[in-house]
Amino acid sequence: MATERSDVRSSSAEIDIHAAKLTKQFGDQYAVKDVSFDIPRGKIFGFIGPSGSGKTTAVRLLTGIYPPTAGTARVLGVEPMNFTQHLREEIGYMPQLFALYPDLTVWENLNFVASLYGMNFVTRRKRLRELLEFVELDKDRRKLARSISGGMQRRLTLAATLAHDPRLLFLDEPTAGIDPVLRRKFWDHFKTLQDSGRTLFVTTQYVGEAAYCDYVGVMTRGQLVLVETPQGLRKRAYGGELVDIVFKDSVSERRHLQPLQQFDFVQKQLPRAVQRTGRHNARIVVDDAGAALPALMKWFGDQEIEIENIEEHVPPFDDVFVEIVSKAEAEMDAAEANHG
Amino acid sequence: MGNLSRLFVRASSFFSKEIFEILRQPRLIATLVLGPFLILLLFGIGYRNEAPVLRTVFVVPAGSPLETEIEKYASDLGEQLDYRGATTDLEGALAQLKRGEIDLVAVAPFDAYSTIRYEGEQAVFTLYHNEIDPLQADYVRYFGKIYIDEVNRRILRAITERGQEQSISISQRAASARQNSAAMRDALARGDVVAARDYQRAFERDLYQLETDTNTTIELLDNVDATLGGDADNSTEAVRSGLQQIRDNQAQLGLAGDSNFDSDAQISTATQIEAELATLESSVADLEAIDSRVLVSPFRSETQSVAPATLLAQYFAPAVIVLLLQHLAVTFGALTMVRERQLGTVELFRVSPISPAEVLVGKYAGYLLFGGVVAAILTAVMVSGYQLPLSGLGSLIGTDTLTLGLGVPMGGNWLYFSAVVFALLFASVGLGFVISLIVDTDSQAVQYAMIVLLSSVFFSGVFLRLETLLSYVRAVSWSLPATYAVQLLQTIMLRGQAPSVRLLATLFGMGVLFYLVAWLLLGRQMRYQAD
Repeated sequence: MATERSDVRSSSAEIDIHAAKLTKQFGDQYAVKDVSFDIPRGKIFGFIGPSGSGKTTAVRLLTGIYPPTAGTARVLGVEPMNFTQHLREEIGYMPQLFALYPDLTVWENLNFVASLYGMNFVTRRKRLRELLEFVELDKDRRKLARSISGGMQRRLTLAATLAHDPRLLFLDEPTAGIDPVLRRKFWDHFKTLQDSGRTLFVTTQYVGEAAYCDYVGVMTRGQLVLVETPQGLRKRAYGGELVDIVFKDSVSERRHLQPLQQFDFVQKQLPRAVQRTGRHNARIVVDDAGAALPALMKWFGDQEIEIENIEEHVPPFDDVFVEIVSKAEAEMDAAEANHG
Repeated sequence: MGNLSRLFVRASSFFSKEIFEILRQPRLIATLVLGPFLILLLFGIGYRNEAPVLRTVFVVPAGSPLETEIEKYASDLGEQLDYRGATTDLEGALAQLKRGEIDLVAVAPFDAYSTIRYEGEQAVFTLYHNEIDPLQADYVRYFGKIYIDEVNRRILRAITERGQEQSISISQRAASARQNSAAMRDALARGDVVAARDYQRAFERDLYQLETDTNTTIELLDNVDATLGGDADNSTEAVRSGLQQIRDNQAQLGLAGDSNFDSDAQISTATQIEAELATLESSVADLEAIDSRVLVSPFRSETQSVAPATLLAQYFAPAVIVLLLQHLAVTFGALTMVRERQLGTVELFRVSPISPAEVLVGKYAGYLLFGGVVAAILTAVMVSGYQLPLSGLGSLIGTDTLTLGLGVPMGGNWLYFSAVVFALLFASVGLGFVISLIVDTDSQAVQYAMIVLLSSVFFSGVFLRLETLLSYVRAVSWSLPATYAVQLLQTIMLRGQAPSVRLLATLFGMGVLFYLVAWLLLGRQMRYQAD
């Protein structure tokens, strides 16, 4: 699967984040290579990839922490290395690791970050109390940061990132180490932020969180494999949507499987568009499961083939992700071998 | 909200953060402030500003005339010489020295008389010591020179005393001459010519002897006069002219009872000679009155200072304040950005709107406030001399009052003092920041801070005067804030004078320079992360 530039904007949308062939090299190693994408305003962009795939480096390139080796990036219309003081006030950044002061209390840390962004003393107090309530740390505000758990530190970091109410948020694995209930609460809040016009760039290792995003970019080995909607991601992983069929009889290649190849909605260009998955089971890849299911049921009826069940299979994002990354890495290996 | 108020809020974030962080590290404060303070206090209490006493054994060659005299000379030579006996066994004495039982072996010359009298050379006292400390070895050399000078003085004094004893015989001879003259005059008045001539011969013998004896003493005193620019009309000239007058009158007298001379005139001349001899006696008495010690050592020194008197501990107090404040400020400064990098907060600063200047201003303000508080406490402890009455408790520990503080004088203006402390802290925090921005780890930062402290102890003039250092080494001294601040605070506190504007301006300028370097380095680090 070749790395491709993904343009997810609609024609009228303003672009908050733009990357074109963005590259970062440390010595001989590419941490990020030729990454290109556009993220429209008011969208949640999920950046998913295995550990070490270049997600954090990409965030650092987009926030101006690292200068790029090659390529360009524009965030809110400005190259990150040229961010003005005013523009920085519009951006919130949550680093991957806890980067606050262990010898300060929860409240003092939060207060410090709010001051960094020039929030005045009067309005700051109310805002910080609300945030502490949101991250469920209001009762722990007098505790030293060093004496709270890793999950609480993560929550404190998120609260600090949101303190100045930024319009563009870079969140590097915000839900790492957070329990599922609070993780859900975080995503609900991200959705609320999105509803109020904020743009969110979120990296995560929890593939399931892709479902919360408007667009998902999959990174591996420093390259952006694809950018898609969560639904599109499934299609891209398997070449289409999946339909699972359970026959009453044992599956026969000649009677059951070969005839299915005749349908236009079956993705015949794929090597395993129709395949046997068990003694009585088969799976076919179609371009649109919603349209394919009635046609298939009618055909089975016409052919007097008894089926116990037929339904669209929605694979979990973990499987989708593994499928995409495996394919991408195999292609990269092949390309490298050809080069060598 | 205006840009200015935002700037203030951003800078203040670091101010309060630094203060909170410092207060949460009481052990660090104790280590940085209390530790060095207690060490210096113990040094101040325990240091004795006295030359060490040297346990000395004298080795005298067998049969030397010094064998019997040495104890008399050595036992009261001075407080720094602890006389531990005399021996003829050099090897034994050196063995004692090597075992550390004594500090010095003084070997008297074998035949001092021959060396001095016939060879015309100085006889040598050899001093053996067992010191590896070059300063202590220098002290032994200096000690030897001082004590041998004292021995030389004592020998000269003995010679002079013998001269004075001679002058005592002069006065006796003058009295005898006067008595014989008077007896001659009486005999002439009685007309006893034979007796008069006997007395006249006795008088002439006395006069001859008197002239002979007087010449040596007069020559010695003339030399003293010539060397020290003394007045020749005084004692020696009076004696010389008195003698000449007596000799002239004696010639005029002729032979007692001779018919060629008028008897009344002879009686009158004899009376005049008696009067002149009485005057001569008085002049000789003036010579006798000069102490032999004064003749041998005509000068001694008395020192008076135009500066206020200070005790040793008080003299070091300003330097202690400076060293502690510099060390505190440099260490906190040196650790600050290293810690930020280790915590990863620099990444937050890069993304946030805060500028390097705002970071520095906020941090400077925090450290200057903290340093100012420490300076106030230290100064209060140093300057205070409050006597706390102990009432009943005092009897238990043997004192009625407890002195709180060291009672260091503060002769100058507090405003000048505050200006120097501010400039010192400003420069030291800046130096710490520069260190912080060029090192990679906190242990490196602490090591650099210790190097600054060590350099200050040796090169800032705290213990060694700058004049004792070579000029190019003094360049190191003048690159340390402590060098300026020690001199400035000593001038203000101990001399009670206004500080040197040049030194104060240079110290402040040094602070500005460090700030600019720190600003450039931090700006570079905050602009982007190095690959």
